[in-house]
Amino acid sequence: MKLSTFKILLLLFLFSHTAKAQEENDRYSKRVQKYSSNWQKIIPRYAKIQFAGSMGMLSIGPGWNYGNNHWETDMLLGLVPRNADRHAMATFTLKQNYIPWNIPIGEHFSFEPLSCGLYFNTLFDRDFWVREPSRYPDGYYGFSTRIRSHVFMGERFTINLPHNRSWHKSITFFYELSTCDLYLISAFGNSYLKPKDYLSLSFGIKLQIL
Amino acid sequence: MLKQIIPFFLFTLLTACELIDYHPYDGRLHTKERDINAKNIRIIEANTQNSDTIRFAFIGDTQRNYDETVDFVKHINQNDSIDFILHGGDIADFGMKKEYEWTIDILGKLKAPYVALIGNHDIIGNGDQVYKALFGNENFSFITNDIKFVCLNTNAIEYDYSHPVPDFEFIKNEFQDSTRFKRTIVVMHAPPGNEQFNNNVKDVFQLYIKQFPSLIFCLHAHNHNLSVNDLFNDGILYFGCSNIAKRNYMLFTITPDNYTYEVIDF
Repeated sequence: MKLSTFKILLLLFLFSHTAKAQEENDRYSKRVQKYSSNWQKIIPRYAKIQFAGSMGMLSIGPGWNYGNNHWETDMLLGLVPRNADRHAMATFTLKQNYIPWNIPIGEHFSFEPLSCGLYFNTLFDRDFWVREPSRYPDGYYGFSTRIRSHVFMGERFTINLPHNRSWHKSITFFYELSTCDLYLISAFGNSYLKPKDYLSLSFGIKLQIL
Repeated sequence: MLKQIIPFFLFTLLTACELIDYHPYDGRLHTKERDINAKNIRIIEANTQNSDTIRFAFIGDTQRNYDETVDFVKHINQNDSIDFILHGGDIADFGMKKEYEWTIDILGKLKAPYVALIGNHDIIGNGDQVYKALFGNENFSFITNDIKFVCLNTNAIEYDYSHPVPDFEFIKNEFQDSTRFKRTIVVMHAPPGNEQFNNNVKDVFQLYIKQFPSLIFCLHAHNHNLSVNDLFNDGILYFGCSNIAKRNYMLFTITPDNYTYEVIDF
């Protein structure tokens, strides 16, 4: 009798202990789940490579699509190559894309007749300033040589890749025509300047991973 | 069919190449033009070496006024009596290479040779490097018959005193060949006393340039207004031209013993 009571107590103790552990384990795993799913949301969904576009010769970086794939945000690191007069420079671009329409062509292709948006580009170079250096009287030039704002318009063509034989979900080819703040200000009021003077053409590839 | 397609294709390709732009400040020039000042100085010196009288137009600050600059070129090209055109600086407004290229495309249509000084706006960003590639040294000089034109970079605050502006060493070297000329005109973008000038040395500068044989007068741009000032009350006049947006320029005629100037609207 005494022994059985002891056994029951022991079992109860063990049970309660494991139950408590189970409960704790649940809280933790839920937290881990939530934590990783939150981080998963901000995993870049694609990589983009863009040639030219007044933000570097070649820009490359991750990006995210959302809002039924009508919106895309890119973060691109670019390189302005060295030439006879100047050393190479690195740039960073934050780019917001809006793609209003997606027209599927059969099973494997789709066409987007318009992608548009804006991007901001900054140079990593000490010769360029965000705010004028203090040697100038206040508001002397009134613009930043380091940060440029751009607007663009373009078109895109996508190939959906077969899952069993490819690294990526899909590949998108695009081109864009863009211009920046200083080009637009120059064109304004000068009929001498034509679109070929202030427009910039660029090409790119988007590799969709998720 | 193919004969039509190929030129069209080539045209499209060429236009596309022109549209490729890495960065406004990448310094990658599309134009083949280089050393414009040196090339034009050779023409000016050859054309004027035996002229008693020389006539030149003085303009400045064409920055972001392309339409007016085009009109100026059309206007001045009708006047065959002009030996050369002097641009007092501020070719660009933001120091971008495209601005330089647009402007030299326009000024390239001038019938008379031209030289251009460096203005403060031409230095912004990597503009000074673009100026050097397209025009040459920031300080330069040339001799027409018996007059030496000494053209100086005076945009001191652009350099944070890391660079000699005005460059007295250059000026000193310009005294060396003083047997080749009898009179002198000093040209600059920003005049002494201006916020761009290194005003700590403006009196020294004036004393120094007066060492040149018969300094006739000085020319400057930058202020966007016509002006004639005896800045140091020593009888040396500083003539300032308007910016091109005001649609006028100064026309100087220098005879063996005198000079006259007119302001001409276009």
